[in-house]
Amino acid sequence: MMFEHVLFLSAYLFSIGIYGLITSRSMVRALMCLELILNSVNINLVTFSDLFDNRQLKGDIFSIFVIAIAAAEAAIGLAIVSSIYRNRKSTRINQSNLLNK
Amino acid sequence: MDLTGPIHDILVVFLGSALILGSLGVVLFTNPIYSAFSLGLVLVCISLFYILLNSYFVAAAQLLIYVGAINVLIIFAVMFMKGSEYSNDFYLWTVGDGVTSLVCTSILFLLITTISDTSWYGIIWTTKSNHIIEQDLISNVQQIGIHLSTDFFLPFELISIILLVALIGAITMARQ
Repeated sequence: MMFEHVLFLSAYLFSIGIYGLITSRSMVRALMCLELILNSVNINLVTFSDLFDNRQLKGDIFSIFVIAIAAAEAAIGLAIVSSIYRNRKSTRINQSNLLNK
Repeated sequence: MDLTGPIHDILVVFLGSALILGSLGVVLFTNPIYSAFSLGLVLVCISLFYILLNSYFVAAAQLLIYVGAINVLIIFAVMFMKGSEYSNDFYLWTVGDGVTSLVCTSILFLLITTISDTSWYGIIWTTKSNHIIEQDLISNVQQIGIHLSTDFFLPFELISIILLVALIGAITMARQ
């Protein structure tokens, strides 16, 4: 009964992350909500790894890889946002079509 | 951790409420600095959750990488962009916001209903019978080290290549 509450928390973080990602007007806030989504998936993986898989810990190792990928993606995303800001002087999402050219 | 019942439950309730308030703060604060610090609170609470779930290495990795590197990077980026969006503050609740909140609430209720209706105790009972007691001689961190260097060695090396490519790409994008 206890671990179901952890799964409820993960589902709540996921839906809040999706809401923030869709309705954010700034690109940095969208990246922050993307990190929320990835963390909710990580909580799910680690919960099930603790519950079912004490021998091989597959969920733990996969969540380590998810953390590494999220770090790489946050670095590249913020580099893109900073170069768009340098060219456009604004971080509104509807003005971020600079990569079209 | 093998904590006794009430302490475990109190910690879960405390961390869960901090998580709920922090994630609302990430989305709803208009000042982006407050939003970034709320994200830091959420990431620290998630790391403490991992300690409660017996995954000590993932908790340390979360604290070092997410809070120590990614959150600091986000705060640098927020401070670097002079926030023009909280000076022209037309934070009206548009139609798109309402539709999205409806869709996200329905996703949340769908997930909660699915989690509540799944019979977890049948799955737990069939997998707990395979556990052997002697695996407690090797701690969790040692087991992760063993599996990363034997079973999951190829993804480990590929992750290092991905991180190298991401580093070069980020420096190239943010230069000049």
